[in-house]
Amino acid sequence: MRAVCWHGKHDVRVDEVADPQIVSMGDVIVKVALTCICGSDLHLYNGYVPTMKKGDIMGHEFVGEIIEVGSGVKRFHVGDRVIVPFPISCGVCWYCKHELWSLCDNSNPNSWMLEHLYGDTGGGIFGYSHMYGGFSGGQAEYVRVPFADVGLEKIPDGIPYEQVVLLTDIFPTGYQAADNCNINPGDTVAVWGCGPVGLMAMMSARHLGAERVIGIDRFPDRLQMAHSQCRAEVLNYEEVDVAEALQNMTGGRGPDSCIDAVGLEAVGTGIEGIYDSVKQTLRLENDRASALRQLTKACRKGGTLSIVGVYSGFIDKFPMGAIFAKGLTLHAGQAHVHKYLPHLVKLVAEQQLNPSSIITHRLPLEQAPGAYKTFLNKQDSCIKIVLNPQESARTARPGIEEAGAV
Amino acid sequence: MEPSETERGQSREWRRDRRVNVGPAERKASVVGGAALAVSGLRCISKRDYASGLAMMIAGGMLLYRGQTGHCGIYDAMGVDTVHTHNSALTITKAVTIGLPPQEVYEFWRNLENLPRFMRHLESVQVTGARTSHWKAVGPGGISAEWDAEMMEDTPGQQISWHSVGEADVPNKGSVEFKEAPGHRGTEVKVTIDYYPPGGGAGKVAAKLAQGINAQQLEEDLKRLKQILEVGEETTARRTVE
Repeated sequence: MRAVCWHGKHDVRVDEVADPQIVSMGDVIVKVALTCICGSDLHLYNGYVPTMKKGDIMGHEFVGEIIEVGSGVKRFHVGDRVIVPFPISCGVCWYCKHELWSLCDNSNPNSWMLEHLYGDTGGGIFGYSHMYGGFSGGQAEYVRVPFADVGLEKIPDGIPYEQVVLLTDIFPTGYQAADNCNINPGDTVAVWGCGPVGLMAMMSARHLGAERVIGIDRFPDRLQMAHSQCRAEVLNYEEVDVAEALQNMTGGRGPDSCIDAVGLEAVGTGIEGIYDSVKQTLRLENDRASALRQLTKACRKGGTLSIVGVYSGFIDKFPMGAIFAKGLTLHAGQAHVHKYLPHLVKLVAEQQLNPSSIITHRLPLEQAPGAYKTFLNKQDSCIKIVLNPQESARTARPGIEEAGAV
Repeated sequence: MEPSETERGQSREWRRDRRVNVGPAERKASVVGGAALAVSGLRCISKRDYASGLAMMIAGGMLLYRGQTGHCGIYDAMGVDTVHTHNSALTITKAVTIGLPPQEVYEFWRNLENLPRFMRHLESVQVTGARTSHWKAVGPGGISAEWDAEMMEDTPGQQISWHSVGEADVPNKGSVEFKEAPGHRGTEVKVTIDYYPPGGGAGKVAAKLAQGINAQQLEEDLKRLKQILEVGEETTARRTVE
């Protein structure tokens, strides 16, 4: 089969690899209909996540049709159209039973790697390095999906794949970010990063009853999308002092909740930005924390910081004093996709929310290398790229490779 | 691990002659080998091979010093002592919580032939009698070891302990406790394995180097035990059967 394989920093290729097989009795094989490139794939692409090996298949956002089932699978049959959550969960451990699906105890066969780094480990994730299990990812024609009975969600008849492909990761991730804010009537939620997850968080915050939603970014097309798709007010952090602007917009209180949808590759401004870049380049600090520092400063007293941008190591100059003095609550972590899926599928089926409105690029899988470049450099107003492994390269529309070659 | 009272007492006793950490046979060998190296070094220098000669003279000098004084800086740094080798087991303890009642976890373990299913270094365990069994292990680089073991304690749902008997390749003993975890979290399984490395000094060095790997091995073994008991099989990321 054809699959997008990691070969090193800024080097992904579409390779011919062995088809997946049923290995455990709880497996299914999914023929991938659509798969996305996630912002967190860029962390792998940029070489920030250790334990990637040459030839690893990328991708953790995919939907498709079941073409083979293991002997132990009860809920699914060949021909079912399914959404595959990006975290892999066993369904029986203490964490799964307590709806902390992404923290599954049993789904990461390499759990010792993260245990040494973090003290304990999360579950496995498709196509996301060996410390997250070393599972082959979804940017491929076919995927072996373990624990199928636990993870998968059937796509209701009549709903096209494209409408639900963002439910594999970024919509539940954004929804959990907003859910963690415990939004009350009259609340203002500020969201750092108007990329796909930030947009999903804003859409969800609105849906969960936020009075005002404020999006912060530096790219005009992303700010425009936040305004048009999520009814957000927007701030360009290169043009204004964000903390001061937020204070003035909220009667001096600050936002009730602040969501970090940026993570470890935050682009800072001024001296602070240079400081973090230098330290990260020299590996003295592996995560740049400028967004996180702004969140902490801007948030109202007693408010909530909800962190969904990926962090992987250590940060520097973290304003613990502000968290303490203002009595802030901090939520973080990978999304518990399984917990939200049934509700979110219903919201999409009833057309209450339309997450797929942020998809800007539809390409065949063969064009993945160019697509990664386009997404990384935010060219061509790129916000969300969906790849189709079943569409041959020849029928694809031209243009992306030229754009990606810069 | 906290040192026990006796260990603390021992280390105080050792401090008096702490500079001596090389055994008598090794000291003699060090003197002879060191002198030979130093002489060879001198020969090299006389043939104008300064780099090798100097290196050999330094190494020879260090060996001579080691033999004369009985103190080895490298052993010191590694925590190795070939004078006080008796009675020094290597101990590994690891724990895991498994979401099943203690009795069920105990029963799985009590069937000793299940152990190789989750303990990577074990090739097989054969039950040979009511309290006896024969164990085969494979180490790094294909090194294998065999021993007979005898069960000492066997309290259903609570504890099992065993020790090797006779001429074991790697004399060892182990115990596993099963304790009900609070809040319906299942069973806390705590495993302690002591082993007595073979071959005096040389074995001790090898075992010391391997200790880190083995502690991690036990940790991974217990994760696999948890997967087998909770999920029904070992979790794998393999994409194909072969």
